Amino acid sequence: MKLVIDESRCKGCNLCVLVCPYGIFQEGTELNSRGIVAPVLDRPERCTNCRLQALYGRMLCGICHMICPDQAIAWIDEKPLEPHKVEVEF
Amino acid sequence: MIAPDWFREDRLPHIYCTGCGNGTVINCTLGAVEEMGWKREETVFVSGIGCSSRAPGYILTDSLHTTHGRALAFATGVKMARPDLNVVVFTGDGDLAAIGGNHFIHACRRNVDMTVVCMNNHIYGMTGGQGSPTTPPGAISTTTPYGASEPAFDLAELAVAAGANYVARWTSYHVKELTKAVAAGMQTPGLAFIEVRTQCPTNYGRHNKLRRVSDMIEHLRSHAMLVEKRDRLVQEGKPVPDDIFTVGELVRRNRPAMGVKS
Ligand SMILES: Cc1ncc(C[n+]2csc(CCOP(=O)(O)OP(=O)(O)O)c2C)c(N)n1
Ligand code: SF4
Ligand code: SF4
Repeated sequence: MKLVIDESRCKGCNLCVLVCPYGIFQEGTELNSRGIVAPVLDRPERCTNCRLQALYGRMLCGICHMICPDQAIAWIDEKPLEPHKVEVEF
Repeated sequence: MIAPDWFREDRLPHIYCTGCGNGTVINCTLGAVEEMGWKREETVFVSGIGCSSRAPGYILTDSLHTTHGRALAFATGVKMARPDLNVVVFTGDGDLAAIGGNHFIHACRRNVDMTVVCMNNHIYGMTGGQGSPTTPPGAISTTTPYGASEPAFDLAELAVAAGANYVARWTSYHVKELTKAVAAGMQTPGLAFIEVRTQCPTNYGRHNKLRRVSDMIEHLRSHAMLVEKRDRLVQEGKPVPDDIFTVGELVRRNRPAMGVKS
């Protein structure tokens, strides 16, 4: 699964930045086409939901998606063989 | 998004300001509705007037957007005519406790079987930030430019005293707890009242040195104290800070109720 912010809904309140235990959301710096500074994602594949939602068949954590007042956070299915940046931690 | 089957996606994004807590409360309430497994055609959302009261407009069920303060009166009517329906009321502190104060205590007294979710942002949001019966003493609003001088209502305690079967209070920061509380309220026959302290950065935060959404959330988080902790402090004879409000389940009981599905 892939974490996405729906920029047609996000109003840039940055509540997700405040709540994510992994710090996946970072305050953005650039205005989007709606004149809103939406947060940017920092290595979203670290989110438990991206990794395990399909396996467990239910929402895990999900705090960002519950607190988002604008219903802008979602997980979508990845297309097969989507390129990934893999980070190896020693 | 939470509960995609329940949102009127064509109406989104909603009218709420950036960082307004009302959207979070809709998420949590619909999360609880999903947990309950209710059907859309058996559920009615009722509201009065205010920012908070616009919530049913974003939900894909039949709803009543009624006159200011009268949401509970209309909801009582719905429940009396059709006890088989699940009734959820969205209301604001002004709607519920100022103009609708009398309906509030009597709905609790009658213990009508419905779930009332009050988004308490401490002011009248929609009309520009006037003081409401829940404006904390000292807080600045457009009608209390030198700080509110009146004591505020504690809505949850009021509901307990008036007789509601389930009463809880959380904030729009405590999303998991809030969802659980709303679901517990929906399961309890009789009136369930859930007060949610929400942030209104536009009309409350801006005047009270809490301009940023994160400041407002931090303010809510740091002033919330679990009822259990408050009770323990009282028991031990330790001082309870007077700027806190209690959160948690305040009451769950079994008084006779009206309009319960048979
Ligand atoms: C009978 C009547 N009186 C006054 C108003 C004006 N009015 C509209 S919304 C509102 C206050 C709403 O405050 P609250 O219930 O706290 O909701 P919020 O906007 O803060 O969510 C008032 C006084 C009205 N619409 N109808
Ligand atoms: S679900 Fe939890 S871990 Fe994943 S992005 Fe949201 S807050 Fe972070
Ligand atoms: S005025 Fe306040 S309550 Fe109304 S939408 Fe804006 S932030 Fe929310």
